[in-house]
Amino acid sequence: MDLLTAPFEAAREHARPTVWRPFVAVSAVMLAVVGSGRVLVLQGGVLADLGVALEGVGVHGGFIAQGLVIALEGQGAWAGSALRVAAMLLAGFLLGRLAPWGGLLLAATPLVLLQECRQYPILSRIGALEPVRPGSLAIGLGVGAFLGAHLLITASLTFGYGVSVAGVSAYAAAVAYDVGANALSAEWLFRGALFSHWWRYWGFWGAAVTSTGLSLVRYLLDPALPHTVEARAGAIFYLAALGVATSVLRAWSGSLLPGYCASVAFFAAYRTLVVW
Amino acid sequence: MVGAPLALLVALTAAMLWEGGAPVSPVRHLFLVPGVWAALTAGAQAGAFVGLMAGFLQAPLVLPAIERVGLTGGALDGLVSLVTPALLGAVAGHVRDQAFAGARRLDALLEIQRRLAADEPMAVRLDAVVHVVRGCLGARAVGLVVGSPEGPPAVASVPPGAALAPCSAAAWCLASGGGMRSRDLATDPRVTVADVSSSPRRAMALPLDAGAGSRGVLAVEWHGEVTEATARAATEMALHLGLSVENARLTLRQRRFAAELEEKVAAATARQRDIDRAKSEFISVVSHELRTPITALEGFSELLLSRPVSPERARRFLGHMHAESRRLGRIVTELLDLSRIEVGVAPVLTRERIDLAAHVERQIELFAGVHGGHRFLWRAAPALPPLHADPDALDRMLQNLLSNAVKYSPRGGEVRVSARTAPGGFVELSVEDQGVGIAADALPRVFDKYVRIANPKTVSVRGLGLGLSLVRALAEAHGGRIEVSSEPGKGSCFRLLLPG
Repeated sequence: MDLLTAPFEAAREHARPTVWRPFVAVSAVMLAVVGSGRVLVLQGGVLADLGVALEGVGVHGGFIAQGLVIALEGQGAWAGSALRVAAMLLAGFLLGRLAPWGGLLLAATPLVLLQECRQYPILSRIGALEPVRPGSLAIGLGVGAFLGAHLLITASLTFGYGVSVAGVSAYAAAVAYDVGANALSAEWLFRGALFSHWWRYWGFWGAAVTSTGLSLVRYLLDPALPHTVEARAGAIFYLAALGVATSVLRAWSGSLLPGYCASVAFFAAYRTLVVW
Repeated sequence: MVGAPLALLVALTAAMLWEGGAPVSPVRHLFLVPGVWAALTAGAQAGAFVGLMAGFLQAPLVLPAIERVGLTGGALDGLVSLVTPALLGAVAGHVRDQAFAGARRLDALLEIQRRLAADEPMAVRLDAVVHVVRGCLGARAVGLVVGSPEGPPAVASVPPGAALAPCSAAAWCLASGGGMRSRDLATDPRVTVADVSSSPRRAMALPLDAGAGSRGVLAVEWHGEVTEATARAATEMALHLGLSVENARLTLRQRRFAAELEEKVAAATARQRDIDRAKSEFISVVSHELRTPITALEGFSELLLSRPVSPERARRFLGHMHAESRRLGRIVTELLDLSRIEVGVAPVLTRERIDLAAHVERQIELFAGVHGGHRFLWRAAPALPPLHADPDALDRMLQNLLSNAVKYSPRGGEVRVSARTAPGGFVELSVEDQGVGIAADALPRVFDKYVRIANPKTVSVRGLGLGLSLVRALAEAHGGRIEVSSEPGKGSCFRLLLPG
């Protein structure tokens, strides 16, 4: 029991935070990579595919790097880990652009990230290395599947949107994108780094609402989101519900995995929605 | 716990769909039931969750209607139906949680009081208390430190085995009387812990202060979320523990006082009984001691008055009468001295410069003349300083000591009298006999009034039990003291120490 045994100094204060400088640096690099990708896309030609890949790497690799910086408090060899994950993402995005099944390579990104996490035991604090019970993974999948199914039913009943899978390879690539980039980077940054950090200071609801709010901003700024009002309203509702649910799962299980499973299941359902 | 309410929800949704799926179906009101059910059986979180699920299940029926016909009264009614179950579940569950928490806290407080008042060792009681506190507060770990003025503080903890480190937060609280609260021990700069747990570790160290100063510390650690109500409960519990520890301490002290008082009363009663018995004996002895010379005086005076006696015989009778009257006078003087001592008046002394060696030698010669059956050995150290004392009081002290030595030693025994200088400017006059001696447990009482130490060999010895008490009073009046050492069967040695 640490209150009885651990050394205590009543007057000692917090050390100066060391996280801001690397966080700003990562954000700047992230913007630069996304910007370069956009320029290449706008120029078109052979380099357009590289531009799209760079945009993907800039956003998702940037989120993962930001999460690493926050979780490691700016200490350690986070840059190397972030670069290796970004390289994996770049390979996945490029292959996805070059071959129909190439995008499946993205699904291997979580393994690369997990391998990198093993170097830093402190990442247990964000739930990255915690052992997880199979039951909680099933609950996570169930939550995501319920929200996804609810989205499909409500959207089809209310707006008449269709539910279909255009092609197996395209659907698989979309799910691989969620597994290796979209859901992974969102859970890593918003639930892993930010929620875990704020939970220690602000309590559950303060952390859950703030991190979910930031993740909503991220999705609303995503150009891939349909621009109709009802689609945006639906996105706000379901992504808020998903954010709160994954926060609950993170707090309840101690691990990021159940929330990640919920996100993957939700987006896997979402990918079948045909918005017109 | 929420399985059955969820099943009911699914059944209600199916019923609503079977009925046609109209958003304003009367069945929608029944969606409140599962939320309240879950709230009452499992609390606010379950109530809110099931209520939320009720809203989710109704949404696909309500929202298309809004899309089709716009925001009409019926559509608004449907929207209200979406959010009401969650709100009601949360509120009902919150009320239920508050009531349960209050009841649990009350139970815990009573249990703590009962445990602390138990007649068991402190360690056992504290161990039981930390288990109760942990159960009530839902804590991961609980430590209880109770300070002790006699030694190190008593410590109990769950999980067990934690010792109190001198530089820990609990030790700081115990020393300062202050409290400490941490939102997360892992990131708190004041605490040095190697912790990588995935949830925050809230912690509180609270002084057990019931108004009479801090008596200890209650330390509680949680994993994850801690509500303000739980934190308040911990504070209340610390206050209550402070009161209970103080009560337990006072009860213990009261028990100790009661035991001591009982012993003192028993000792005082026994002593009073001894004094009563000694006084009865004293009255009996005094009556006898007074009657003997009076009888002699009466007898000889009647003889002289009733018939003619020869001058020689008359002179002998008058000699006897004189001796008896002197004896009577000595008894009366002792009684007067005793009465003065009893009322706290010190004997009046007339101090003179006395040559101790010559004075003692003269007294011994007189005694040796009367008590021929004993051998008196006198030895004085060379260059004895002169003594400033009352010669009459000195005589009476010496006579009492010599008289006791003769009375309590067998015929033919040796009585050794010696004088020498003692540390502190005192002159020590000691009288040592080869008599029956005094038992060690009786030694402290030999100088008390009316006390005569019972010994089968000295039953026939007459006395009032006043002599040694008088010697002590006279010695103290001189600024000196009297000491005794004795060995049963071998003899006693009385040392009279008087300032030179």
